[in-house]
Amino acid sequence: MDSIEIGLWVTGGLLVLVVLGMRVAFAAAFAGLVGLIWIFWDKRGYDPEMFGWALGVAVKTAGQVPHGKVASQALSLIPTFILIGYLAYYAGLTRALFEAAKRWIAWVPGGLAVSTVFATAGFAAVSGASVATAAVFARIAIPEMLKVGYDKRFAAGVVAAGGTLASLIPPSAILVIYAIIVEQDVGKLLLAGFIPGMFSALVYGLLIVILALSLKSFGPPVTGFTWRERFASLPPALPIVAVVVIIIFFVYNPFGGDAWGTPTEGGAIGAFIVFCMALWRGMRLPELRDALVETAKLSIMIFTIIWGVLIYVRFLGFADLPSAFADWITSLSYPPMLILVCILLAYAVLGMFMDAIGMLLLTLPVVYPAVMALNGGETVSAADSAFGMSGTMCAIWFGILVVKMAEFCLITPPIGLNCFVVAGVRPELSVQDVFRGVTPFFVADAVTIALLVAFPQIVLWLPSLA
Amino acid sequence: TEWNASLWGKRRAFTEHVHKLAELVEQKTDGAFTINISYGGLSKNTENLDGISIGAFEMAQFCAGYHPDKNRAITVLELPFLGVSNLDEEVAVSHAIYDHPAVAEEMAQWNAQMLMTSPMPQYNIVGTGDPRDELAEFDGMRVRATGGLGRAFSAVGAVPTSVTSSEAYQAMESGVVDTVAFAQHAHLSFGTINQADWWTANLNPGTVNCPIVVNIDAYEALSDEERAALDSSVDEAIDHYLANYGELLQQWDSVLEEKGVQKVEIAEGELAKFREVAGDPIHAAWLEEMSAQGLPAQELYDLVFSTLESARAGN
Amino acid sequence: MAGQASVLEDDSLLSRLDRGLARLEWGMALVSGLGAFALMVLAVVSVTGRNGFNEPLRGYVDWIEAAMPLIAIFGIAYVQRNGGHIRMDIVVGQLKGRLLWAAEFLTTLAILLLMALLVWGTWAHFDRSFDFSTPNWSRDSSIDIGLPIWPAKLVVPVAFAVMCLRLVLQLWGYGRAFVLGLSEPVAVPLVMSAAEMAAAEAEQVRGHD
Ligand code: NA
Ligand code: NA
Repeated sequence: MDSIEIGLWVTGGLLVLVVLGMRVAFAAAFAGLVGLIWIFWDKRGYDPEMFGWALGVAVKTAGQVPHGKVASQALSLIPTFILIGYLAYYAGLTRALFEAAKRWIAWVPGGLAVSTVFATAGFAAVSGASVATAAVFARIAIPEMLKVGYDKRFAAGVVAAGGTLASLIPPSAILVIYAIIVEQDVGKLLLAGFIPGMFSALVYGLLIVILALSLKSFGPPVTGFTWRERFASLPPALPIVAVVVIIIFFVYNPFGGDAWGTPTEGGAIGAFIVFCMALWRGMRLPELRDALVETAKLSIMIFTIIWGVLIYVRFLGFADLPSAFADWITSLSYPPMLILVCILLAYAVLGMFMDAIGMLLLTLPVVYPAVMALNGGETVSAADSAFGMSGTMCAIWFGILVVKMAEFCLITPPIGLNCFVVAGVRPELSVQDVFRGVTPFFVADAVTIALLVAFPQIVLWLPSLA
Repeated sequence: TEWNASLWGKRRAFTEHVHKLAELVEQKTDGAFTINISYGGLSKNTENLDGISIGAFEMAQFCAGYHPDKNRAITVLELPFLGVSNLDEEVAVSHAIYDHPAVAEEMAQWNAQMLMTSPMPQYNIVGTGDPRDELAEFDGMRVRATGGLGRAFSAVGAVPTSVTSSEAYQAMESGVVDTVAFAQHAHLSFGTINQADWWTANLNPGTVNCPIVVNIDAYEALSDEERAALDSSVDEAIDHYLANYGELLQQWDSVLEEKGVQKVEIAEGELAKFREVAGDPIHAAWLEEMSAQGLPAQELYDLVFSTLESARAGN
Repeated sequence: MAGQASVLEDDSLLSRLDRGLARLEWGMALVSGLGAFALMVLAVVSVTGRNGFNEPLRGYVDWIEAAMPLIAIFGIAYVQRNGGHIRMDIVVGQLKGRLLWAAEFLTTLAILLLMALLVWGTWAHFDRSFDFSTPNWSRDSSIDIGLPIWPAKLVVPVAFAVMCLRLVLQLWGYGRAFVLGLSEPVAVPLVMSAAEMAAAEAEQVRGHD
């Protein structure tokens, strides 16, 4: 059988396993292993005597993946960025941010939800993982919103969507993963995420205000905070500014000198500061132990998906499915912008079924060169290019678009990780509830992505300064 | 017959011979024998030898310095200051070593046999700020250099600071490393040349050795005609590689000029000092260590120099 | 589904085995967490050494790569014990009683088959890097400072073997629930009722935020 045909069958089988409720990481690994056995046995013409050989080669090939892919300096950012999130929780930063946001902006229509969005945006500046952000805010913000009468599904949707901001606003694990796959400057990409991240937060906020103005049963504004109370809420949230400044200085020195180190180091130093803060705020050994075990649980869950999907991706490599796709896309004769929009739409569809990191790992080796070629190549000047930007800038722009798409997929059914996590943390909510509550934010994300496509300056202004 | 070849990164000067080889083999067998080249889809670069040993794919490229314990015999080719002065000599020396029984025996443990090398010129460093053209200025210098090169720089007080090649540019920009050692094509493809103020033209401390290997079972399963097509294409593939890399080296000076990078010539006296500290002592340590592990280290070592001599006499 | 689930306990042999194994698994997860903490400390040491004393940490990347499997994989069985690996519950969520236990049994069996094969595959991966006759028993070492890689590779089959034990216990639990027609079996992750979950939550979060 044609290896591409095997690839399509196995991919179909993977979707069936996932829908039947097999845990995603293992479904992907299982499909990948079966696919590898199939492809090696196919190579020996389905000779019954060679099945043992095919099984052995497939199992040993798959057996390389967990250690080989996980032992990576680049991916070491993920546990660090998750740890920082949990430590910030124990340092009281999450609560402080939410409190400050509430006192300053909860008076607007839909106030608590808007506050939640801006608090998650603030927290995004110390958290590199969307899922961790959603988990932490599910504990803090949802009960408050329920107390003043918000619809529980909508409250959950706000947190699930707000959590996605963590991957655009630096530090961001997924932007680093993108930079490493396409071999672009990590620092510039992290800088580029900042404005689109804040921009997304604004669009979310606007959407909530519009909903609140047009729906009667929506959560009421929360008013009555004095200016004294407002200012009193600022100092506890202030340390976050210190962490932001440090992480920025490790990426890019705005005063023109050398940056202080790598983003990886910046994240770790940030975590260390938050750790010291948590100690000072009274964190003791049992709490530290809990934070470490929680970090381990979330990290292991994510890494299990990573190596599981990568066993499947390894099989795809043997089936040659990605390069078949590349040949097809470059043979199209439509306008480049139309093709780009189609690619983004394809990500939206793919993201319905895959997790963000798996999706990027799977597709970028194929899609990125195609997009760069559409623009006129890696070294093209802005004047000669299809999208009106140089090769480097196109790489950054596409990275932000793709990460925004990947974040979008964290809240789309059927595999929206953020929604699973929120439902997991809040017993009163089923996954279906969260998916229903998050639906309005699809619209907000669609608007944001359209604007980022139409006005690349939103993305490119900051990195062009560096 | 259909073979898979596992490479990494993207198509570049460093992989041109494999593409040429695939093209020639397909031509000579009228399409009966094809080689699919995969960049990273089949394995991770440091696991390519493992993949060959499993039998997952039939051909692969790897670099000796990635895992010296897997391929101790050919690490002789990564010793600093061997005195190899051009790509032709690099090919001659590499293939002479590959033909040595100790190498064949070690590769056979991985079910692999050597096919050809991927010759690279001497690594040189790029840096920012004032050029470092005296040995004393290497003290405390943070340099991105692996394997034997890292040891050479260590010997003069520099600190090898390992970042992945794709992080090298960022590491330079942020001051994590002061200098990066690469071959020319890598300075280009990883962008370190864009960040650089200067490039050492004649430091020439050594290079990295990256062979192409094939799986023994797969090689023996080829028909006589296919095997002949493969074997007879190696020289032509290497010639193609050398011509292509030669063009890149010819344009190198204009690249430097275009990027405003200063070409630094280090005085012969300084080079002699470097060789004295980082050459012989590291060679002696290698001989001792490898002999202790039962390798014919002295024989391999001598083979390098006798081959160099005859290669020069032949020209 | 992600996150919290409860595992019921009683005095049966199965439940005692479950709790015994869970203690081991918790310890392994804690080791994973300590690894993440060590990463942070390593970066602080590296940055301080480099900027303060012009003496960067030698082999920084090598140490990170050695620690990662411990962080990312070692505690995998603990996550499985608590039902923490994510899945879609659109179909399974509709099932009840024997049908549910049968479905759980089958997917768990598939995972056991996968993990058993991966113990073989990851052991082979370890075995290729390990050789009693060489210095440090190493046939594969790290790029910068030549750390032997086999210990990090050994972490994976060990973690996966513990995962297999866990899966066998869960199969036993689901099988027993199916045969006896139980509604609340021990030793398998159950989705908590709202009240239980809130209590557990309050316990965990109390005083920290
Ligand atoms: Na972030
Ligand atoms: Na999704």
